[in-house]
Amino acid sequence: MLSERERERYKRQILLFGEEGQERLKRAHIFIAGAGGLGSPIAIYLAVAGVGTITIVDMDVVDQSNLNRQILHSDRDVGKKKTVSALEKLREYNADITVNAVDTTITAENIRELVGRADGIVDAMDNYPVRYLLNRVAVEKKIPFFHGAIRGFYGQATTILPGKTPCLECIFPKAPPKEVFPVVGATPGVIGTVQATEVIKYLTGQGSLLEGRLFIWDGLTSTSEEIAVCRNPSCPACGTETAAHKTTGKKK
Amino acid sequence: MSVKVRFFARFRELLGTDIMTELKVGTTLAALVSGIAKKNREGYDAIFDEQGSFREFVILMRNGKRVETADAGKTAVADGDEIAVFPPVAGG
Repeated sequence: MLSERERERYKRQILLFGEEGQERLKRAHIFIAGAGGLGSPIAIYLAVAGVGTITIVDMDVVDQSNLNRQILHSDRDVGKKKTVSALEKLREYNADITVNAVDTTITAENIRELVGRADGIVDAMDNYPVRYLLNRVAVEKKIPFFHGAIRGFYGQATTILPGKTPCLECIFPKAPPKEVFPVVGATPGVIGTVQATEVIKYLTGQGSLLEGRLFIWDGLTSTSEEIAVCRNPSCPACGTETAAHKTTGKKK
Repeated sequence: MSVKVRFFARFRELLGTDIMTELKVGTTLAALVSGIAKKNREGYDAIFDEQGSFREFVILMRNGKRVETADAGKTAVADGDEIAVFPPVAGG
């Protein structure tokens, strides 16, 4: 049940998806991997939308060079753990929700436990090795995975529903080389809010998700487009052949 | 015959996009992309390695369908094809 205060607070979005939709948001637990450029707008918009439990994970310390884009953090936070700063800001934005800020590096060993029984995983990472881990655990636990990535003025997003849509490894089987990527803060602003919108739509059952569609944003020309993406039957993460092997393996 | 090549992200910054090209019948996807990319050394190096093979992370699409880069050398393009070439974007 929503409190009187919540009814008032979320009034303008209850117009969109009703109290039932708002209650679904309240009951939800969303896992956000990263409290940086993408993680900031994602966490802020999910917090103010009233997602009941948010777990946000980051191992980094706020650096001056983060501040052009990582809007969860500000000058006074430089030198603080990003989780400390993120927790403070999200509490300021919405004290009615639960925020777990976890200061750790996501690894193959801890990822299952970190994700726990979350209803969705949001990709706010800056590298493919960890994205692939998130993708694998999403496929294994059959929970949606909201992918986003950016560089410069350019970004991409897609929503992965395990068993239904292509997974991240179907779309991008090989990681690009590591680099110190250029970026203007508005770009993760665009892509992060697309991801947050996808999460809210998924939880409230509104609209159509970016299923099997790679959304592409080119800020330099202010154009967006989408590319249809397909499942790879021999995908090492979600392919039917691979899944069959896994089942056989378990039976043995 | 004429085909359109669209580059995305870093590739677009280096090579432009929506490039219409007149080609001989039988031109392969690999020859098409490398022919255009050769106009800019940095652009070429972003897509192809020292041996002239596609870098392993490059995504190639022909009319919205994925073509494995390993097959691009034997896949002939057809009149009216739209080819997309893009890298995964990694930042967050």
